[in-house]
Amino acid sequence: MCVRSSLYTNPKPCKHLADYKLRNGFHGFDYLQNCLKITPNGRTRVVNHSTKVPRCSFCNGYQGRLYICLICSSISCSRHVLLHAQSEHGHDVAIDMERSELYCCLCCDQVYDPDFDKVVVAEQIKGLPGGKSSYGLVNCSGRTSKRRRLLDSEMELDLKKAKQLMAMRDGRAKSCYPLGLRGLNNLGNTCFMNSVLQVLLHAPPLRNYFLSDGHNCNQCKKSSGEKLCLLCDIGALVSAMFSGDRSPYSPARFLYSWWQHSSNLASYEEQDAHEFFISVLDVIHEKESKVRNYSKDDGDCQCIAHRTFSGLLRSDVMCSTCGFTSTTYDPCVDISLNLDTVNLSAADVAVKPLEPDEKMGLSTLSGCLNLFTRAERLGSDQKLHCQNCQELRDTSKQLSIKRHPLVLCLHIKRFEHSVVRKASRKVDRYLQFPFSLDMTPYLSSSIIKRRFGNRLFALEYENADSSAEYNIFAVIAHSGMLESGHYVTYLRLKNQWYKCDDAWISEVDEGIVRASQCYMLFYVQKLLYYKANEDSSYVQKLLYYKANEDSSCVQSSPRRDPSVSTAGCS
Amino acid sequence: MSLPNEDYSQLSSHFFGDLLDFIIVDVASECHRVVKLGLDCNLEEEEEEMRLSAQARLRVADPGNSGETNSKYVVDIFGQTHPSVASEIFECINCGRSIAAGRFAPHLEKCMGKGRKARLKVTRSSTAAQNRYSRGSPVSTYSPHSNSTSTSRLSNGTPGVAGEEYSNGTYEEP
Repeated sequence: MCVRSSLYTNPKPCKHLADYKLRNGFHGFDYLQNCLKITPNGRTRVVNHSTKVPRCSFCNGYQGRLYICLICSSISCSRHVLLHAQSEHGHDVAIDMERSELYCCLCCDQVYDPDFDKVVVAEQIKGLPGGKSSYGLVNCSGRTSKRRRLLDSEMELDLKKAKQLMAMRDGRAKSCYPLGLRGLNNLGNTCFMNSVLQVLLHAPPLRNYFLSDGHNCNQCKKSSGEKLCLLCDIGALVSAMFSGDRSPYSPARFLYSWWQHSSNLASYEEQDAHEFFISVLDVIHEKESKVRNYSKDDGDCQCIAHRTFSGLLRSDVMCSTCGFTSTTYDPCVDISLNLDTVNLSAADVAVKPLEPDEKMGLSTLSGCLNLFTRAERLGSDQKLHCQNCQELRDTSKQLSIKRHPLVLCLHIKRFEHSVVRKASRKVDRYLQFPFSLDMTPYLSSSIIKRRFGNRLFALEYENADSSAEYNIFAVIAHSGMLESGHYVTYLRLKNQWYKCDDAWISEVDEGIVRASQCYMLFYVQKLLYYKANEDSSYVQKLLYYKANEDSSCVQSSPRRDPSVSTAGCS
Repeated sequence: MSLPNEDYSQLSSHFFGDLLDFIIVDVASECHRVVKLGLDCNLEEEEEEMRLSAQARLRVADPGNSGETNSKYVVDIFGQTHPSVASEIFECINCGRSIAAGRFAPHLEKCMGKGRKARLKVTRSSTAAQNRYSRGSPVSTYSPHSNSTSTSRLSNGTPGVAGEEYSNGTYEEP
């Protein structure tokens, strides 16, 4: 297994490269700076200004791959590059002129060096219209890590307090099953609601928040003066689910509250679970903002819904002519993915050169994510105005994840609209998804690096403080048709999968989950997952609090020492 | 300068060969870097996941397998059975009448005066756009207008575009 502290590993240089570095340091790369020619699509060539067409010094050929010697600048073609190294002592390392990659003539292999890459990238950035700032490379997202650490420190405080109290087991709980596992009655076509509620009730940050009385009901009623509060109702729902009573619960009050708040969705009919999910988070945000006067800034909102699910998406629009890039950021609480019905594209090959033998037409989650983050060329009928060129230009657009959330919600768009038939239909296609997901290749830092040719360099704002590795904890699956179907939720609690089908809770094998037709996938950051699972009595302790209404334990957490510098923040 | 036909075809296949070689080396060089820098170090884990998924699907597809029993008519893990329509009775919050759980939603709809409304695309998307919590409505001028095709570009999720709603409710024409 590969262990990496950053996004890549520094490969060990071959003997010849090491020798070269010893003798010449990185000054040997400096002359390169004047010789690099960069095209807007990212290709970096070495241009020898002396001759028009570079030719091999041995055979005078100009075809095939050409390599320029780092020591004497003589050019050799692939057939004679070894000859050059053999005839001149010490002239072991050359540069592939077409791609600006280091090549060891004696090892006959491409080699890598971080100092070399640094020079190349510096030139690439210089060459970009707008310079560094156009790439958003100067953007420092110090706020990201601060926000993350705030939540972490709060959670640690909860744990600490919990550990101070005795563990009290609720006698009513059938203790062999995890607490909080309880069926939800279908109130009439409300399986879409039940399926989402099951997920929210067990999403660690959300669950802990409500169990530890994060929302203080008495306070809220006083300030808003309203009789109804959806947050109170959610709190009541959470309490009921974790009470130890195992008979199915009817979330009637919650439904009533929700209909009051989202009147456009209030109707007795089958609805979309994803739509409901968004709606609930919306309401939680609204309510919390009222009660606590949160800042209007979406990106940094501290309400529990945002703290749990919110991430930041980066959108780059690149001019195909000059390379000028315009970047925007949008907060999101989920990512909606199109199914990848396309087989391996050229882009995929570059990312996964050894893609396992993919049967024709198997859709995978990684395929969908690749599709989501690939650079898409907008059609010629969609020319946009380039600030640099001052003209309408062909552009390409690329999305990436600037800040990944604590709990990642992936929504699979399983509908297809046929223009011919003027109707939508559901796509039942199976989607393979992993239980362990590494989102690193889809982060902005990785995407940008790939654009620079995966060179070895560190972006200014790269923060390694929160890993992008996730574990799955819930799946909402759909069966049936677009107009009428059924939702169930699969929950993973303490490494056992449970199927939550309205009032019916059953244990299922993980194979059932893998083979299910997923509609929404919920992943939680690995660190949080392990934290949540290891302390099995943690939830019981929270319940003990609740039972004793020990409000002195629920305090706002002290902030971390601000003098501790944020990793990667300049 | 005119050449006999064979020379032309030779020349063109020569060019083609050159171009093909160029492309192959390009891709190989790119992949070489990815592998050497360990950017694909999760490959084994990914392959394992694929294998497990394939295995699971086979098992589920196997008719001989008891697989997932329809748990609706058996005892659940807590040892309980439930009727297909929830029978728990409670008082309606709005009017105070006693309603069975499974019939609560239709009752509440009438009780609250909501009724079945034709959900307008505009209503939904304008409501969603008002919410500060919007999933990034196409704010930037660079977002292309998304079509409702399966290969359409995600504009950070546009709620309320008819046809894109995965409603297991009635589908409404846009």
